[in-house]
Amino acid sequence: MVIKVTNFERWAFMLTVPAGVVAIGLYVFPILQVLALSVTEPSFGLGNYVSMVRNPAIGRVVRTTLIVSAVTTLFTIVFSYIVAFALVQMRPKVRRFAMFLVMLPFWISVLVRAFSWITILRRNGVLNSALVEAGVVNEPLELIYNQLGVIIGMVHYMMPFAILLLYANLTDIDQRIIQAARSLGARAPTIFWRVWLPLSTPGLAIATLFVVIFSFGFLVTPANLGAGRVLMIAEYISVQISSTLRWGVATALSTTMLICVAAAIALAMRHPAFRSAFGGSQK
Amino acid sequence: MSVNRFSQDAAQVALEKFKSGQINRRSFMTALAGLGLAATFKPSAASAEVSEIVICNWGGAALEAFEKAYGAPFTDATGIEVVVDGAGPSTGAVRAMVESKNVIWDATDGGMVDATTLGAGGYIEPIDYSIVDKSLVGEGLAAEYGICNYTFSNVLAYDATKTGETAPTSWADFFDLKKYPGKRTMCKWIQGQLESVLLADGVKPEDMYPLDVDRAFAKLEPLLPEIIFWEGGAQSQQLFRDGEVVMGNIWHTRANLLRKENPDFTWTWNQNLLFASAWSVPKGNPAGKKVFDFINSSLQPEGQVELLRLMGNGPSNPKALELMTEEDKAVYALAPENAKNNLPVSAAYYAENEAELQNRFLDFISR
Repeated sequence: MVIKVTNFERWAFMLTVPAGVVAIGLYVFPILQVLALSVTEPSFGLGNYVSMVRNPAIGRVVRTTLIVSAVTTLFTIVFSYIVAFALVQMRPKVRRFAMFLVMLPFWISVLVRAFSWITILRRNGVLNSALVEAGVVNEPLELIYNQLGVIIGMVHYMMPFAILLLYANLTDIDQRIIQAARSLGARAPTIFWRVWLPLSTPGLAIATLFVVIFSFGFLVTPANLGAGRVLMIAEYISVQISSTLRWGVATALSTTMLICVAAAIALAMRHPAFRSAFGGSQK
Repeated sequence: MSVNRFSQDAAQVALEKFKSGQINRRSFMTALAGLGLAATFKPSAASAEVSEIVICNWGGAALEAFEKAYGAPFTDATGIEVVVDGAGPSTGAVRAMVESKNVIWDATDGGMVDATTLGAGGYIEPIDYSIVDKSLVGEGLAAEYGICNYTFSNVLAYDATKTGETAPTSWADFFDLKKYPGKRTMCKWIQGQLESVLLADGVKPEDMYPLDVDRAFAKLEPLLPEIIFWEGGAQSQQLFRDGEVVMGNIWHTRANLLRKENPDFTWTWNQNLLFASAWSVPKGNPAGKKVFDFINSSLQPEGQVELLRLMGNGPSNPKALELMTEEDKAVYALAPENAKNNLPVSAAYYAENEAELQNRFLDFISR
C-alpha cells in the first residue's frame, strides 16, 4: 500500500519538529541521563536493582503505595462516575455552574488543599468538633495522619480529572440508544446497568488507568496528611535523592516504576475499551 | 561519559582562545551553543572581580535575617553584595550542582553532618583556615569541611495548659503516657530523635554513641500511635497552635516563636540536643576564595547576636555571650545555664550512619 503524503501534511509535520526537538532535548534526554544513574552509581552493573528487590523496606513502601493507590482509585472512580452521570443529566445552565465547581480545585495548589484537609480532619478540626458537639461520637475520630487521611486527600485531588474524563465519555453516548431502550419497555435500573454502564466502559477504563498511574506518584499529599506514618514510593525516592544521596537506588526505583507504568499502559491498550477511548468519538 | 568529557574539553579550548583574544565573544558563545554548553561556561566568571557572594539557606524568615546579620556587615566592610538564596542546600542539591558544573552558591547553610558527608563525597572545598580564623568559634566547632555559623537545639517543648500542675522536665516525661496523656510530635528526620528516646530509657549521655537503635525502636514502638511526625519547622509549630499535641521534640527556635505568640507554650533546656550548623563551600563556587572572607566576617560576635535576636540561632563565637542581655541568654543554647545538661549530637556518627539510619527510621515509623 502506498501512503500518499500531501504537501499540507508534509508542512504540518515539519511544524511539529521544533517542539519535538525541544521536548527530546529538554525532557527525554535528561530523564535518560538520570535513569542511566541506576546502572552506573555507585558502580557499573545491576547492583541497585538487586538491592532494591532484596530490601524489605522498599517492599513495604511498594505495598503501601499499591494499597493506597488501589483504594484511592476505587473511591475516585465511583464518586466521579456519580458526578459525571449527574452532569450529563443536568440542564445546560445548571451544568455550567456545576462544571465550574468541578474545575475550581484546579486553581488551588496541592499544598493548600492538603492543609485545608488538615484543618477539616484533625482532632480539633471542623469535622470532629461538629461530630463531638452533635453527640455522634464521644472521642474525636482519627481521620488524619494515617492512611485514611492520605486517601481522602488523594481522592479529592483526583476527582476533577476523573470527572472530566468520564463526562467526555458519557456525553459521547448516543441518546437515541437510551430512548430505544426506554421505548422497548426497560425500566431505569435496567437502562443504567445494561445500556449506560456497558457504554461507559471506555471512559471508566481510561479514567481508572489515569488515576492509578497518577496515584503512584503522589508526594505532597501523603507527606502532609500521613505525617510520617504513610510512606509512598515518591517520597521514598525524594528522600534518597535529596537527603541520603543514594541516587543509585532512587533511580533504580524510578526506572522500575516507569517500566511498570509503561507496561500497564501497553497492556491496557490491547483491550478494545482503551482503544476506543483513545480513538475518540464513535459517533 | 566520554562524549561529555570531550565536549567540556572542547569548550575549555574555546574559553582559552576567547581569553587570549584569538576569537571574539560572539564566536565563543556560538561555539559553546554548538556544544550545547552555553549555560555552563561563563567567560566572565573566572577572571572578573568578585562583585557578590551568594549564600544558600532554607528560606522563610531566615532569608531576611541572614541578609541583616551576615550580609549587611560584610557589604559595609567590603562593598561586595551578599545575596541570600532560600532554595535549601540539601546534600542532594549541592551534589547535583557540583556534578553538573553549574555552581551558583558560594556558601551553604547546612548542618555539620552535611558538611562531613559532602566533604567525604568530594563535593565541597575544605575550609581555608589560612583565611578563616579558627579561633573565632568555640571548641570543636571548626571542622575540615565546615565551620559552625550558629548552633541550635532540639528541645522538649510543651503546652502548659495541657500538661497540668507539674511541667515535664525530661525525655522520660516525654515518653510517659500515663503521666502526660495525649499526642506528641517528633521529627521524621532522624537526627536528635533516637537520642531523646534513649535518654528517656536511661542511657547516659557519655554512652550515647554509637546509638543503640534496636533499644530505641523497642522503647518507641508502643508509643507510635500517639506520635505525629513533623517534617518542617512551621508544621511543628502549627501542631501546637492547633492544640493537636501536648508535647514535642522540636527545634528551640520554633519553641521560641511559639512562646512569643503564647506564653503557655514553652520548653525546657534540660537534656537539650545540641547541633552545630555549618558553612560549606561547594566545589567550583563562583566567588572563589573570596567566600572565606565572608565566612570570617559572619563569625564576628555582633552579627551573630543580631541573628540570635532575629531568629534564635545561637552564636558559635563564645565572645558573643558578652554582648547578650538576660533576654538573649534565655534563648541561647550555649548560655552556661542552658548548656549544663545538654547532649551534643555527634556529627561524626551521623556522617557515617545517617543514610542507613534515616531509611530504617522511616520504615519503622510507617509500618
